[in-house]
Amino acid sequence: MPKFFGGCDLGSTTGKAVIVNERGEVVSSALIRSKIDPTETGREVLGLACRQVDGLGEIKDLAYLVGTGYGRNEVPFANENVSEITCHAVGAHHTDPAVRTIVDIGGQDIKAIAVSDEGSVLEFAMNDKCAAGTGRFYEAVVRTFDLSLDEFSELSLKAKKVVPVTSQCTVFAESELVSLLYKRHPPADIAAGVQLSVAKRVFTLARRVGIRPKLVVTGGCSKNKGLLKALNKVLRMEIEPLSFDPQMMGALGAAVIGWKKR
Amino acid sequence: MKQPAGIPTFFKNLVEEPLNAMVEKAQDSGQRAIGYTCSYVPRPLLDVEGIFGVRLRAPGVSGTPMADTYLSNVICSLTRSIMELALEGAYSNLGGWVFASSCDHMRRLYDNLDYLEPLDFVHILDVPHKRGEAATAWMKEELEMLAEKLAEHFGVDTGRGALAISIKEHNRLLAILRGLDRLRRRDAPPLSGTQYQMLMMAATSSPRNLVIEPLESLYKELENSSDGIDDYRARLLLAGSNCDDPGYIRVIESTGGLVVGDRTCTGSIPALKPVSEEGDPLEVLASHSLDNISCPRMMEEFGARAQEILEAVKLTRADGVVLETMKFCDTWGVEASPLVSVLREQGIPVLRLEREYAMSSEGQLQTRVQAFLESMGR
Repeated sequence: MPKFFGGCDLGSTTGKAVIVNERGEVVSSALIRSKIDPTETGREVLGLACRQVDGLGEIKDLAYLVGTGYGRNEVPFANENVSEITCHAVGAHHTDPAVRTIVDIGGQDIKAIAVSDEGSVLEFAMNDKCAAGTGRFYEAVVRTFDLSLDEFSELSLKAKKVVPVTSQCTVFAESELVSLLYKRHPPADIAAGVQLSVAKRVFTLARRVGIRPKLVVTGGCSKNKGLLKALNKVLRMEIEPLSFDPQMMGALGAAVIGWKKR
Repeated sequence: MKQPAGIPTFFKNLVEEPLNAMVEKAQDSGQRAIGYTCSYVPRPLLDVEGIFGVRLRAPGVSGTPMADTYLSNVICSLTRSIMELALEGAYSNLGGWVFASSCDHMRRLYDNLDYLEPLDFVHILDVPHKRGEAATAWMKEELEMLAEKLAEHFGVDTGRGALAISIKEHNRLLAILRGLDRLRRRDAPPLSGTQYQMLMMAATSSPRNLVIEPLESLYKELENSSDGIDDYRARLLLAGSNCDDPGYIRVIESTGGLVVGDRTCTGSIPALKPVSEEGDPLEVLASHSLDNISCPRMMEEFGARAQEILEAVKLTRADGVVLETMKFCDTWGVEASPLVSVLREQGIPVLRLEREYAMSSEGQLQTRVQAFLESMGR
C-alpha cells in the first residue's frame, strides 16, 4: 500500500495542506480561509487534500503528518510540529535547491530567511508585533480602494509615477490613503506607493539576513505582482518564480520533513 | 518540555505583585521598604535593622499611557513600566527610592519620580563608568553619603558593625543563589530557567530576612533531589538586559529549550560572588560593585564581558545563546551587535531577540525560538 506524507500550515489568515507521495512529489493540496477554531481549519483542509488522493482514506492514514504555522500545535493527528521558518526553507529548497534567500509575507508576519546549500535555516529575521506590510495590511488597504487584492495588484502596475505613502502602521496608512485619494492623486500611483512602502519594510529585514540569489517570495502576498515588482526594484535582485504555489511552501516543507523521515 | 512541579506557590506569589505580601508583612512590623532600580545599588547597605531593599519590578503592567506623556519615545519600556506603576500608586507604600545613574533612562526615571511621585527619601548614586582606584574611591564616597543619609532619615545604624552583619547575611543569600544556579548545570537540572528566575526575583524583591529561610530549605531539597528535567531539546544560555519576568523564560522553554544559565542584569551579572567580610564595609561594597558587576554601561570592557559569556557557555554546556535586549536600551543595543559576531566566530549559535518589558506576542516569540532550535538541528 503506497505511503503518503502530509503537511498542514495553519496560518493567521488561511489553512493550507499538501500531500506528497513516496517519491516526494506533490499529489494534492488544498487551501481554505482560517476558521475561529484552528483544529477545525486543520481537519477541513487536510480532509480536502486527502480526498483528492486515490488510495488515501482519512487524515489518520497519512504515514506522517507535520503541523506548522501559528496553529501548528492544533493540527489534528500531527506527529510533530515544526516552525514555519524551517518549513518554508525546506519547501523552497525542495522545489528549487538553488534557493538561498526567502522572503515570506503571510497574513500577519514578514520573515526573511537565509538558506544553506543543504536547505537548512542559516539565519532569519521577522517583523515585530506590528502587522505593517503583511496580508492584514493589504486587506485594510484594498478596503479603502474598494477593490479585490488582485485588482489592487493590477492597478499598482499601471502607475505612471509613485506617490509616497509614509505611514507604515496599518491604521495610519489607511487614513493616509484616504487623504491621498481625496487630494485626487491617481489611485494607481497611490497603489504603487503602497507597494513601495511594503517593499522597503521587507528590504530592512532581508538585509539583516543577507540577500543572496536565488531569491524567492513565499506566503500569500507572493501573489501580489505589484509588490513583486517593487521588491525587485528595492532588493536589486531578480525574484525567481517557484514551480509550486509559493503560498503553499510552508505546508509543502512540512510534508517534505515527514517524507524525509520515511 | 513541562515545567517541573516542586517549587512552592509561595515563591510564585512573591513575583506577581509590584510589592509582595512579604513586603507588606515587614512593613506591618515597622520596617521601612526602600525601592531600588539597579544592581549598582548595593543591597547590604539597604538591608540593615529597620529598613530593607526591594528591587523594583513592574509585574502586571498593561500599557504605559501615563508614563509616555512624560518620557521621550526612545526611553526603554522597563523605565516606562516602573514609572507607570509609580504613577498608579503601586509603590506609594515605599519609604524611599534609591536610584543609580546607570544609564540615561534610569536617570530620567529618577528625575520624573522625584518630581511627580516624591517619597520622603529619594537618592541617586553617581556610579563611575570605569574601574580603578579613583573610581572605587569615588564610589565609596557615594556610598558614604547614602549611608549617612539613610541613618539620618530613618534613624537606622549604617555603621561599620551593622554593615558587617548585613554583608554576612547577604553572603548567605548569595550562597543560596549560587547554589541554585549550579543546580541548573546538571545534565537533568531539578529546576527550569523559569523557576530559577522566579526564585531570583523573589529573593531580590522581598525582605531578605523573610525570604532567606524558605529559599535555603528549598535549595537543600532541590540539591538532594534525584528528579530532573531530561526531556529538553537544547540547553540555552540567556544573555542580555533586564529580564525580571519568569513568564518570558517560560515561553522560551515551552519550545523545549531549557535555560541552564544566564548573563542578564536580573540574573548572574550582578555578581553572585561573595562580598569580602574583611575591611571597611563601604570600601568593600564599592569595589565589589565596580569590580564584579559586568554591565555594558562600563567603558572599554567589551572583551572581558564577551569572555564571561563564552565561559558561561562552556560552564553550562549550552548549545546556543538567546540574546534578549530591551527595545531602546542603548547600553545593550550597542553591546549586542559585536557580541553576536564574537559568539558566532566561536561557532556558538545565537538568537537575538528585541523585546518590550511587558510580555506580548507570545506566538511570535515561540516561533522564533523554535526556529532557532531547529536551525541548530535540535
